[in-house]
This record gives sequence, C-alpha cells and structure tokens, in this order.
Amino acid sequence: MTDVKLIDSRGAACPGPITDLARAYRNSKVGDMLELWATDKGVKADTEAWAKKTGNEIVEIKEEPDKIIVKIKILKR
Amino acid sequence: MANKLSIIIFSGTVDKLLSAGVLSQAGAAMGNEVNVFVTFWGLLSFTKGEKKMIMPKEFENMGPALMEGMKREHVKSWYEMLQEAKEMGAKIYACSMACGVMNIKREDLDPIVDDMVGAAKFLADSEGGQVLFI
Repeated sequence: MTDVKLIDSRGAACPGPITDLARAYRNSKVGDMLELWATDKGVKADTEAWAKKTGNEIVEIKEEPDKIIVKIKILKR
Repeated sequence: MANKLSIIIFSGTVDKLLSAGVLSQAGAAMGNEVNVFVTFWGLLSFTKGEKKMIMPKEFENMGPALMEGMKREHVKSWYEMLQEAKEMGAKIYACSMACGVMNIKREDLDPIVDDMVGAAKFLADSEGGQVLFI
C-alpha cells in the first residue's frame, strides 16, 4: 500500500525544508510518496539535488502563488 | 557509502558560525557523514553557558539588521542548526591543542561537543570527502 505523506515546511528558511524532507525520508518505505510544501525559494533546486543524491524521484514540482509543492517518490531506502 | 562533509570552524563571529550551521544541517539532510572540527576563535562559542553574538568589526553596525532579518525569515540560530545536524548523525569535535592554548577543559565544553580530539583524528575522518574551512 502506498502512503502519501504531507510535509508542511511553509515559513521555514533553508535548510529547514530539506531537513524536514530528510526526516520524513527516514520514516518512509520504498513506494511511498512524499509531498513537501515550502515557501523557501531554494526548495526546487535543493530537492532536485537531494533526490539525485539519495536516488529518489521527483514526480512533480508545482509553483503555486503561496507555496511550492514538490512530490517525491521513494525508490530507495 | 554516504559522502563525507568535514567543516573546520576556525572563526568566532556569528556570521561565519551561521554559515557553518547551515552547511552542517544541509549536509546531514543530504545524507552525508558530517564532521565538525572546532578550533581557535570558534571555541569561544562552544563553551558552556550563554553564546555571545560577536559580529565582525567591519560589519558591526549591521548586527541589528541581520538579527531582524533572521527573525523575519525564520532562520534558526547556528546552534539550533548544529543540533539538527547532530540529530541526523553529525559529530562535533573540539581541537585539543587549541583548547589547551585557550585553557578550556573538557568539562568546560558545551554538551553539543562530542569529544576533544587531535588534528590526526580530524584528518583521518575527513579523508576522501569535502573539507570546508570557515
């Protein structure tokens, strides 16, 4: 069963969002979807770098007026 | 195996401590093994008790604006960032020689410090990874 976990990092400055993501990753399993909400402008490049380094997949990055949403699929633990 | 990030904190001013904090926390979040080696002026902020906010002389008058900006942007303190990094596995070491020179004993060090070590231990730990001197 696939879990979708919402990580709300809105308002947190760098490196807050990536840290929240790393924490959620620690408690995830292969196949899980993580959805990160952030307002820090660096989050797009940071999550891409994080996914590349940890071997996970960015499924979608959506920029909304009030937040950036990054959806990550966990492929590797 | 995880990559390694080693940071030497030499400076004691709060701007540089903040950089060290950000990179330690980000490095740990990226899954790196993170080792922080604190020496000389850096040690002034790693003893027990309240942390002094020392601004570099040339930017001294910008201190209040920096603090205000950090508050506005919800930037955590360098100390909290190091705590976050540690929570993800980072290690913080104090340079034994500099502690000796500055008359800082093991029991004087802030609990955030894992151990007092020599340069050889730091070089062995950092070998093959990224090293930053701040």
